[in-house]
Amino acid sequence: MKKLQITSVLIAIFFAIGFSPKVSGQSLTGKQIVEKAYNRDTGDDQTSDLTMTLVNKSGNQRVRKIKQFTKDMGEVEKSIMFFLSPADVKNTSFMSWSYDSDKSDDQWIYLPALKKTKRISSDSKSDYFMGSDFTYDDLGDRKLDDDTHKLLREETIDGKECYVVESVSKDEDYMYTKTITWIIKDNFIGLKKEFYDEDEDLLKILSIKKYEEISGLLIITNSEMKNVQKNHKTSMVLDNVQINTGISVSKFTERMMMRGL
Amino acid sequence: MENFLKKLLKAPWIVLAVTIIISAMFFMQMKKNSRMETDLDKYMPQDHPAFVYSDQAEEWFGINDGIIVAIENKNGIFNTATLDTLKQLTKRLQKMDEIEKADVTSLYTADNIIGTEEGMDVKAFYKRVPKSEEKLNELKHNVENNEMTFGRLVSFDKTVTVIIAEIRDDVFTQEFYEEILALADSYKTDDIKIHVAGRPIVEGTMALLGPADMKKMVPIVLLVITLVLFLMLRSVKSTLLTMAVVFFSTVWAFGLMAAVDIPIYAVSTMIPVMLIAIGVADGIHLYSHLQLFLRKNPDASKKEATLDMLQHMWKPVVMTSITTAVGFISLLTSQVYPIKYFGIFTAFGVLMAMVFSLVLIPAGIMVFGLPKVKKSKNNETNKETNLAYSFAAKVIKRKSVSIFITAAVIILSIIGMQKIWINSSFLDKFEKDSEIVLTDKFINDHFGGTTTLNLILDSEDKKDVFKNPDVLKLVDQMQDQLENDLEVVGNSFTLTDYTKRMNKVMNADKEEFNAIPDNQYLIAQHLAERDSIAQLLAGLDLTSQSSLAKELTAKLAILDSEPQDSLAQKMIAQYLLLYEMSGDPENLNKVVDYDYAKLNVTFQLKSDNSKAINSAIAIIDSYVEDFEKQGISMNYAGSGYKGLIFTDLILEGQIMSLILSLIIVIVLLSLMFKNYKIGLIGAVPITITALISFGTMGFLDIPLNTTTALLSSIAIGIGIDYAVHFIEQYRNNASKSDDMLLVAQKTMAHSGRAISFNAVVVIAGFMVLLFSVFPPNRELGALVSLNMFTSFVGTVTIMLVLLKVSNIYFKNKNK
Repeated sequence: MKKLQITSVLIAIFFAIGFSPKVSGQSLTGKQIVEKAYNRDTGDDQTSDLTMTLVNKSGNQRVRKIKQFTKDMGEVEKSIMFFLSPADVKNTSFMSWSYDSDKSDDQWIYLPALKKTKRISSDSKSDYFMGSDFTYDDLGDRKLDDDTHKLLREETIDGKECYVVESVSKDEDYMYTKTITWIIKDNFIGLKKEFYDEDEDLLKILSIKKYEEISGLLIITNSEMKNVQKNHKTSMVLDNVQINTGISVSKFTERMMMRGL
Repeated sequence: MENFLKKLLKAPWIVLAVTIIISAMFFMQMKKNSRMETDLDKYMPQDHPAFVYSDQAEEWFGINDGIIVAIENKNGIFNTATLDTLKQLTKRLQKMDEIEKADVTSLYTADNIIGTEEGMDVKAFYKRVPKSEEKLNELKHNVENNEMTFGRLVSFDKTVTVIIAEIRDDVFTQEFYEEILALADSYKTDDIKIHVAGRPIVEGTMALLGPADMKKMVPIVLLVITLVLFLMLRSVKSTLLTMAVVFFSTVWAFGLMAAVDIPIYAVSTMIPVMLIAIGVADGIHLYSHLQLFLRKNPDASKKEATLDMLQHMWKPVVMTSITTAVGFISLLTSQVYPIKYFGIFTAFGVLMAMVFSLVLIPAGIMVFGLPKVKKSKNNETNKETNLAYSFAAKVIKRKSVSIFITAAVIILSIIGMQKIWINSSFLDKFEKDSEIVLTDKFINDHFGGTTTLNLILDSEDKKDVFKNPDVLKLVDQMQDQLENDLEVVGNSFTLTDYTKRMNKVMNADKEEFNAIPDNQYLIAQHLAERDSIAQLLAGLDLTSQSSLAKELTAKLAILDSEPQDSLAQKMIAQYLLLYEMSGDPENLNKVVDYDYAKLNVTFQLKSDNSKAINSAIAIIDSYVEDFEKQGISMNYAGSGYKGLIFTDLILEGQIMSLILSLIIVIVLLSLMFKNYKIGLIGAVPITITALISFGTMGFLDIPLNTTTALLSSIAIGIGIDYAVHFIEQYRNNASKSDDMLLVAQKTMAHSGRAISFNAVVVIAGFMVLLFSVFPPNRELGALVSLNMFTSFVGTVTIMLVLLKVSNIYFKNKNK
């Protein structure tokens, strides 16, 4: 009897000590942090001018200017983009609908020289976005449950206090074995992210150079992805960002792609 | 000099001790510092414009040689087991330290971009290995319908598929090669065979096999030479001391090389070859003289005998060594560093052989005693002397025979030389039935070719030139011509192939669109569309403000504003953008630069032989003017082309240094004998030797390459020895006698004897190389033997005739 009492006391103490942080909810798990980062409010729709600069290892540059519109419609996020330059691809447009469910993205391309809209289907989510160092996944298509998240430590970089979270892919065939993300504690912006390849070697580093408050929301306006293995990088700069202007759903149609801006 | 040598005789033990200690030090250096250089790029002069451009282009486009792993299944490759092996092997190769993951290409890594009615489909051919019959058939269908894959990654008969793993030049090692072979072996089954080929394998194997074979053969060569030397000299002591001279001079040459940290190149393995051929000569002449002296003076003490030997022989030994060394030093004119080093260190070795001959051999005699001279010598001496005397008499009596034969041989050689060709091929250096040649042939039979030639089209930084349909059509036409006209060109690949593929894909995979977009066609389409819109508009009520009317008007305005002459160019630009967005953009970077100002066209050849590469270059060069009109210049890049240029450079340098050393030798001889005619006469045997050597190569279809070209140096180095010894002896004898015939006979009995010993010893030694497993080493053995023989014959026949006819050493006396 006495024994039992002692045991139950011990159990009680064990619970009190061992589980108190979780119970109290003061500290977040890796998964919770990433979830907050993924679900950070960036508005329901966005219009912006994107300047994408590709720099190869010899230092040569390819600069592309794109006008883009995106709209989050809950289950589906639609975006459409029109090339402004270089001149020979002007009015080329690209539309994608990406779904919250497991359904793969729908994509269309309109080539003005061909005067036809074509559907692109691709089985690979690890496709690079427009030949850049960003994949579609890197740009936010990744789903929370695709990885196992673990809070590694807390660290201050660039004067900002961050959670450092490791996310290990559940799919063995995925192009990254893991990523490590520095997420700012205050606002859950991923400030820096390291991508590790199939052999667990560092492949790419994403750095957020600038984020601005626009219409009351924090929007990343300048980011750079560097492929450290190929010494190749892509920078994306957004200008003229407009949030929640109520872009019409009819904007995201094949007809609009053909009509151009 | 003579006095110094005599003084050394008093302290023979010290001489021996010092030699051995220094040799030991050099030996330690060799042990510690010697390293083989197997990277062929290191052999090439880095500042030569062709190499500078090629290196740049390799950097721009990531041009690397690839290891080809071919998976063969006689029953076809479209089955689960073979496809699984392909996947596993691809992954294993990607994980190797020497290989960049992205540089491995196979059906497993490739994208299949296909056109459908409504659009475009980008898929991997497979990720999970297909198991069902249906999936396997689908994969087969996809491969057959993709001209970027069929015939490139999978053979047309569907029994072979390849993995191409590009590696940097400097990562190839024996261990790496063995690792790859072991890896390939581990996947072999009853049905599945795996072959490994590609230029890195060939280059690496050659760089390792040649020297390895030399290592095995040289001891046998030495053994045979020692044996024959013993038969000639009939004395163990003399034989061993002569071989010691060769051994020490080689150790010193390689020791010095290690001490100044110069790696051993493939050509460096020729150094011991040279030193054996040249080093034994000094010893043979010294001992031959000693023997003859002892026969005449059987009771002489070892000191008397040695002194006499030194007194008579130091001069010719020094003269021959210096002329030979200078001949090798003339190789410094070569642009190729390994050859410069070869020249310097061989010259050093030759001079060391001279020092050892004059110091070590006398010291050896003082310490170990005179070689035994057998009793019944008189008979033999007479026999030898009689032979020499009658031979000399015949040569002099029938001088027209020598002159006639020499003339005939020279003419024949010159005819033969016309047929000589240069070959930079590596594969041709292997046995026709060796594994490496058979594998190469196997892959060439099934695919485009294992040898690549890169053509770099350069518009000098004018942007977007390679989006111009006219330019791409020209490139495409050139590719077609090469592929159709030349059996040896199996495939070619560049931006045109991506453009054509995209054009086909975007036009629902219709074969007629497998072409560069045509501006005329696009204008016609453009006008047709304009007409149809205009008709629609005309049918509408013009006053109506309907949105349809507005839209059509806007559309019409856009169409009308578009300049019609750039439709195809825009089409190409948009296709390429689309490819970048959907395929692997890295692929495009391998064929065109960021500004579309430089293009890399890769031709796959079924042979790395210079004739094959040159035949492709000849056709490509016929497009020079067409491209020039577009402001585009042509250059070549890649290892095959560099090999070609490199061989040319070596030969150019060889011919230069051959002429230079001939001139130097003539001048030196003229100075030494204070008579320019002697200089010219002395050069006759070496000239004949070189001519016959090249002539024979022409007739026997032995191409000039780095090894065979260097042989001309041997011709000079050895030929001049014979001539100098002979002339010096002739002069000595002439100073004592007025009887021209007797002088010739005496010279023949003395120098002629030694020269024949020398020739027999070295020929016997080098004949051993005929049993080598490495064909270039066999050619080397045969040609060295031939050179020794012609030098010997030339010296004792035509040169003797010329000496007599010129009358040099008798003229003054007669007056």
